[in-house]
Amino acid sequence: MDLSAMQDAFDRVSKKQKVSYSKTQEIIDKILEQMEQTIEKFLDGRENADADHKILLSDLQGQLTQYGPLYQLGALQKELNLALSKYGKVMEKQFSVDIAKAYREMEFDSHLVNQAIALHFYRQGLFELGDSFVDETQEPNAASLKAPFYEMYQILEAMKSRKLELALEWARLHQSELDEKGSSLEFKLHQLQFVHVLLKSGCSAALQYARNFFGRFASQHMGDIQRTMGCLLWARKLESSPYADLLSSTHWEAVSLEFTRECCSLLGQAYESPLNVIILAGCQALPTLLKLATVMANKRSEWQALKQLPVEIELDKEFQFHSIFACPVSRDQSTAENPPMLMPCGHVLCKQSILKLAKGSTRLFKCPYCPLEATVAQCRQIYF
Amino acid sequence: MEAENGVNGTPVLAPTAESTNSNVYSNDHISESIKLDHQLMKVPYEYLKKSMRSNNRMVEKEVNAVVACVAEAVDKSMSKEEAMQHLTSLVSRLQGLKRKLDESNKNEQLQVQRSRARLDHLSSLKVGDKDLQAEWNNIKVDRILVDYMLRSSYYCTAMKLAESSNIKELADIDIFFDARKVIDALHSRDCSEALQWCSENKTKLKKNKSIFEFKLRLQEFIEMVRSEKMMDAIMYARKHLAPWGRTNMKELQQAMATLAFKSSTDCTSYKMLFDAKQWDNLIQQFKQEFYKFYGMALEPLLHIHLQAGLSALKTPFCYETGCTKEDPLSNETFRQLAEPLPYAKHIHSKLVCYITKELMNEDNPPLVLPNGYVYSRKALEDMAKKHNGKITCPRTGDTCTFSELSKAYIS
Repeated sequence: MDLSAMQDAFDRVSKKQKVSYSKTQEIIDKILEQMEQTIEKFLDGRENADADHKILLSDLQGQLTQYGPLYQLGALQKELNLALSKYGKVMEKQFSVDIAKAYREMEFDSHLVNQAIALHFYRQGLFELGDSFVDETQEPNAASLKAPFYEMYQILEAMKSRKLELALEWARLHQSELDEKGSSLEFKLHQLQFVHVLLKSGCSAALQYARNFFGRFASQHMGDIQRTMGCLLWARKLESSPYADLLSSTHWEAVSLEFTRECCSLLGQAYESPLNVIILAGCQALPTLLKLATVMANKRSEWQALKQLPVEIELDKEFQFHSIFACPVSRDQSTAENPPMLMPCGHVLCKQSILKLAKGSTRLFKCPYCPLEATVAQCRQIYF
Repeated sequence: MEAENGVNGTPVLAPTAESTNSNVYSNDHISESIKLDHQLMKVPYEYLKKSMRSNNRMVEKEVNAVVACVAEAVDKSMSKEEAMQHLTSLVSRLQGLKRKLDESNKNEQLQVQRSRARLDHLSSLKVGDKDLQAEWNNIKVDRILVDYMLRSSYYCTAMKLAESSNIKELADIDIFFDARKVIDALHSRDCSEALQWCSENKTKLKKNKSIFEFKLRLQEFIEMVRSEKMMDAIMYARKHLAPWGRTNMKELQQAMATLAFKSSTDCTSYKMLFDAKQWDNLIQQFKQEFYKFYGMALEPLLHIHLQAGLSALKTPFCYETGCTKEDPLSNETFRQLAEPLPYAKHIHSKLVCYITKELMNEDNPPLVLPNGYVYSRKALEDMAKKHNGKITCPRTGDTCTFSELSKAYIS
């Protein structure tokens, strides 16, 4: 990919466009000038001569023919067209011209697509866009996607202005679910609120707050509680204390993020917008798929019928959601019937490959990757 | 990367160029990803070309006419006053031309500026800067969504989105609004806008061997038959359908037969021609012509990307009950969309730690518990540190010590 070639070719187009405009103007001005001169001569001319204006007119015609405006315009256009078509060619060369080539003929259900888009907007807190979209598409089920995220963003908005009441209320309501997941979100929120109370209403109020709320977390967060109580010693100059981090905006952001994560998870939603994830995975997959489409250009029907892609697509690690074991010998993905097996030497193969190597007997066989030998009985199934 | 896990110096596969140099790899990704943005550059180019051509033709025509008028004046014997008048009118005609020229220049400048902004946007994507890349990717998603909405006639939200993510220069809203006029007219069963579009873009449509105009003419003819204006219909066919006889004789004859069958016919092949669906087909055909004209992808960018992404992400594991919520395919909507698509192929193992959800590789290798369950070294070390060397399998509850763990080599 060479964008500078594009830039250069485009600069030429832009320059020629300017030149063409100003030259065309010049040409028209010149014709105008000649005509106006002729008109002036008419006015200067004496009353009598009927022949005079005929001479003047044919003079004008002569001048115009000599000037040849059409020829000049033609030359300008030629240059412009040349620059344009060159730019066009560079473009065709630099880009993948037809990315729809990688597309299988099929109809996506537009309702599903629209629901996915509505979810995408609501998940990102773009409620106005989401509402506008749902309204315009008349998608009947999409509006219900909004409510849970709406609550989440109200809490986040409040946290942005450092108000924790809504968040604390939410955490209290979801206490048992959060505890089950081993989340420390509720404690962190109380910790923030403690600092807030300390700054606003002084030591005794903060102490009271700690007595009321920290007890529940004693077993899990003893160390943190001790450290938080240390704040009491620095009540008036907390910003210059060893506890300044509890005040910092990065700490607040981190807690907000954790809240978002827990909230999405309790809503049964992903932290990242699924639509985002798929489109970006698509960006990484398309180059490979386009190559494949070129190779399979004559086998469109085969392409349509594929149950599994014939090539591996490399995606970045943020797109790996599952452990996938592919046997290094057979290149097959493991399944429940053909699980991965650990050999005593530490190498892992699929069960079928191991049975093949052992040729069905209980004798020793050599590992394909190291000199050590093993029997089938010594290999054990592993779980990722 | 995985290949190097093969111990004792026997890598299974020669490591590919990508895996040996991660920098080259991501560089590759970026340039490959920019390559997909053909439509982004192509549309303003085609638009610019179109307006330049029509501008050139206009100037040429006017100048030609003025020169011809002068010649005419010479040939005719005019009185002085007549000649004066004639010249003055030519002067004002030329001044009018200059105004038009200025206008179209402004329009061309706008297109040039748009192309420039898009080139700048593409070249702003650089290797290394993660935040910038994330931002660029978000814009890409928004661009793809705007494209989808414009193609599906959700103009209002498309405009709002382009506005709110500040990508108006990267979206082809004005071009789609031109198309909207035609589409709206076809919706109200009026071909005139579409026919005008055809005549404006005659040369290029001819080059593409488009028969869209013929389809429009057929429809107008059918409408005349429907309202029983048979003589008008015949006159119309003579004028507008006959020129297509050489290429589309069969359809032409079929249409002419409706004169005998009328709109109340039960004969399927003619009944079809009177069907209201024909108008929807015309809209679809127009859209295809329109995409072709501007060099756009014939399918919405969203669908192309969704299909590729879903296929690349689809594994049998996505459909298991314990599938993580972070996997888009755990969502029912996306599962349904992915239904007809092929599974991804994996010939290299990719292991994700059950506890930390991080990728297991040479830096963070997999370790096997005595019960056969595998977790990453990082996760197990953390656990051992917190619980005095004791390891508890989160899936079975079995316990063991750190020293009981064994290594696994995954190639």
